[in-house]
Amino acid sequence: MKQGSKENSPNQSPKEVLVIGGGIAGLTSAWELARLDIDVQIVEKSPFLGGHAIEFCCKATDECQKCGACLVGKRVLEVIQEPRITVHLRSELKSVTRNSAYGYVLSQRPLYINPNKCTNCGLCFDKCPAAGAIVRGYAKTDGSLFAIDEAHCLYFKDGSCRLCQDECPEKAIDLDQGTGQVSGEADAIIVASGFQVFDAKARPRYGYGINRNVMTALELERMLRDKAEVLRPSDNKAPKTIAFIQCVGSRDHQLHHGFCSQVCCGYAMRMAEAISHRDPEVKVSIFYMDMQNCGKNFSAFYERCKEHVRFVRFMPGDIFQGEGDQLILCYATEKDGRPVREPFDLVVLSVGIMPGASNVGLADMLQLDLDEHGFFAFTDPMDKTTPKQNGIFLAGTAQGPKDIADSMGQAGQAAQRAAQYLGVMACLK
Amino acid sequence: MPEVEALSAQGASMEEIPMETTVLIIGGGWSGMKVAAELISMGYGVVLAAGGTGIGGEPPGDHSASVNQKALTTLLGSVKKADGIEILTSTSLVSLTGVPGSFRARFEQSGEFLERDVGAVVVALETQRVSLAEAYGLSEDENILTQSQLEHVFASGEEKDRLLGGGSKDVLFLVGLQQEGGPVVMERAIESAINIQEAEGLQATILVGNVKLAQHGLETLYKQSREKGVLYFKLREPPHIKQNGVDVSIEFFDNVLHGPVVLRPDVLVVEEAIRSHPQASDVAQVLGIDRDAEGFLQSDNVHFFPTRSNREGVYVVGPARLSSSLAEGWKDAQNAVLEVRQLLGKGKRVVPREKAKIHRGKCTICLTCFRVCPHGAIYWDNRAVISPVACQGCGICASECPMDAIQLVDFRDDQIEDQILQLSATSVDGPQMIAFCCQNSAYEAAQMARVVGGSAPKGLQIVKVPCAGKVDVDYILTAFKAGVDGVLVLACHKDNCKSQQGNTFAEWRVEHAGNMLEESGLEKERLCFATIASNMPMEFVRITKEMEDKLNQLGPSRIKRGAAA
Repeated sequence: MKQGSKENSPNQSPKEVLVIGGGIAGLTSAWELARLDIDVQIVEKSPFLGGHAIEFCCKATDECQKCGACLVGKRVLEVIQEPRITVHLRSELKSVTRNSAYGYVLSQRPLYINPNKCTNCGLCFDKCPAAGAIVRGYAKTDGSLFAIDEAHCLYFKDGSCRLCQDECPEKAIDLDQGTGQVSGEADAIIVASGFQVFDAKARPRYGYGINRNVMTALELERMLRDKAEVLRPSDNKAPKTIAFIQCVGSRDHQLHHGFCSQVCCGYAMRMAEAISHRDPEVKVSIFYMDMQNCGKNFSAFYERCKEHVRFVRFMPGDIFQGEGDQLILCYATEKDGRPVREPFDLVVLSVGIMPGASNVGLADMLQLDLDEHGFFAFTDPMDKTTPKQNGIFLAGTAQGPKDIADSMGQAGQAAQRAAQYLGVMACLK
Repeated sequence: MPEVEALSAQGASMEEIPMETTVLIIGGGWSGMKVAAELISMGYGVVLAAGGTGIGGEPPGDHSASVNQKALTTLLGSVKKADGIEILTSTSLVSLTGVPGSFRARFEQSGEFLERDVGAVVVALETQRVSLAEAYGLSEDENILTQSQLEHVFASGEEKDRLLGGGSKDVLFLVGLQQEGGPVVMERAIESAINIQEAEGLQATILVGNVKLAQHGLETLYKQSREKGVLYFKLREPPHIKQNGVDVSIEFFDNVLHGPVVLRPDVLVVEEAIRSHPQASDVAQVLGIDRDAEGFLQSDNVHFFPTRSNREGVYVVGPARLSSSLAEGWKDAQNAVLEVRQLLGKGKRVVPREKAKIHRGKCTICLTCFRVCPHGAIYWDNRAVISPVACQGCGICASECPMDAIQLVDFRDDQIEDQILQLSATSVDGPQMIAFCCQNSAYEAAQMARVVGGSAPKGLQIVKVPCAGKVDVDYILTAFKAGVDGVLVLACHKDNCKSQQGNTFAEWRVEHAGNMLEESGLEKERLCFATIASNMPMEFVRITKEMEDKLNQLGPSRIKRGAAA
């Protein structure tokens, strides 16, 4: 990986592709294209590569559960070792002009931490007095594992603190670094801008943000990844009973989310399995409408889950505060419709995949259409990588909800289509 | 956590290898043809083993709005008239020998044998649909149809009038109650139900287990069907079905109505299971590739996402690997084409001359390496030869070779043993442990643990191995002989090994070494096997700390104490 501006890179190949998004789809497209000797520019708005999926935990019991989360870090490593790929972190597409190629301008917010100097000692992270001002990434890269979030940093609030800059033994931090701009020309564009997680507060009945022991599945993923255990937020004790509520934000026609997020059943079942494997005393229940398939051998996997996990076909209404820190879920039994109030130590909301916040702006800039839900629209039902503009291709959740495997599959397809468009596939013609 | 720098690569010399640019495609259905058309457009040659009936056939969800019929017609036309394609009908593949870039495929065609040289193989067998009527306890009758039969009825106006015409009729669908099913099954049922509902006088009702909607646009279709008046009953168990010829009654408890419901449909539509192709098992055996628990090709291992198989140069697409829509099959086809392009390129490939070396004097041609190689990289040419294209450098062959005739270029036994001795001679705080870490999982986790975890045991030393399957019993014993207090072998989780069985071999060897320790009077507990993922640094810290605690309880190793005395 080359960091920063394109001017530094000798243009070894006449073909160049701009990949918008450094999540698993964008990384996979970029990696596949680079292997075909095509130069790739990845533009990623966050300070890290890997998108959402890099935060996901391993859900293995004794056996791999095939979630694919471990593939993301590996893909990041492959990308950063690939000289044909240039990564622009904290950057966004600012404008695009179409001639024979796509002229683009990227605006680049400062990294503040010089990736060439940072040794990832973590001193800044440990010393920072403001919560959330220095964030730690999840993947090993050649850059810094840390980044500064202006929204929480005291220096950007009132200039009162520059402890990290002063303390950094490598003098790698410069809080006064200015914004930058990169421009270039790409022969094709792959839109892999990803999704945003459903904001659980938009479904207030579950009391997310009010009840501390209601957390989102993404928060649970991060907790399992960071701590390798589940702790209840209110008292940091291991919960004995956990309820997953499915379809939070998905298949919700009231919110005009008339789509299935396709990943939540899979991650809920896999996390439930992983949690019960670690501690068989923990009782996990999954409240659902319809369990959706994930991956190969689904029937056998579902049957195995049923041995450890209780599946309740009911979408609970409100959640009440129970005794101590417990939460009460109300539901009706499937057998005879009897109403039940049951306490749980922890409630996990299986939040869904929503269209990316930047979709509207990107669609406008690239002259693409969005579908009724706000994902990028395709024109050929047989090939979901093709939007209405020649030379632009779609990959991953930018086009619609997908799991890691599907995102990688579509990213490969988009790379293949882009390479074909550039005349690179037909190598024997 | 001291560590000796990773052993430097030997600067292996590179070699240019010619690659055959004809590709064998097995399966003449829509996915196979898609692969063929793409490869032909790239200038590759294609041998299409189409099975008995030739190319084409019924597309999955043939009446589905999501299928672009025109695209199918165009595809069929382009494959039929293409140069550079040889279509073999009524042939069966007998063997595939050789290595990626240079396979020889042998076919049988009505008693004759044919041979073709191919660089890669793409398996695109279609699925088969199997009626579940029997599972529901239903026997054939004129008003009991499978989903496919219903689609045919709808396609033929005459039959439709005969079966569904003449006044009001109730049509009942059974879906996802005798199988888990999936979106492909669900989509067909919903589409047919909408067709029924739109016809005059017909009422469609669907009895369903889980409504499978995890596919683009299916929730919208499901909502549409309900708005059009299709009725749904969601059941947890199959209903009680009584059949007396054409009279069928279906009874179940409905938990919305809180009571028993009895339905007497005029027409009953039974779901079909989507199973792997009847020849999948034979093809897998001939190609030496694995199948999953449901019989589809390709083992369930994330490192094969989306179309790779356990044999390098053999790819599996769409319906050959799982029940998938036509569009998903084509997505796979394009991924496989990309893999082929990466593998065969313009007909030559530059690769490191060798990742592993066979000592000809020691080799007794016992075939062990050939059998254990998980990548199909070893072949025979009067002696064992390792294909530099297919070899992944996992080292399983080297560790399993009974004559110690194989050495990896970058991980030679003497280098690793030196590293072990060097590490064990370093003095550390606390119990001294050597962890053999698979570079694909534990090693990555260990690296991350340094940054995020901080507090891995001080006495922990790491030896990176290409795969846990390369950890020899000798390595473990060398470490103990040199006086370390404990040894960990850290592998990938079961089913997550890039070399499939590397973790299993490692576990066996640890067990074997443990028994040897016990016999020699050392505590077996000093040796630990664990599995871990690359993205779980804290898990690495937990495992190693648990080991440290255990070793603290056991005290220093007797060998170390003996040496000190």
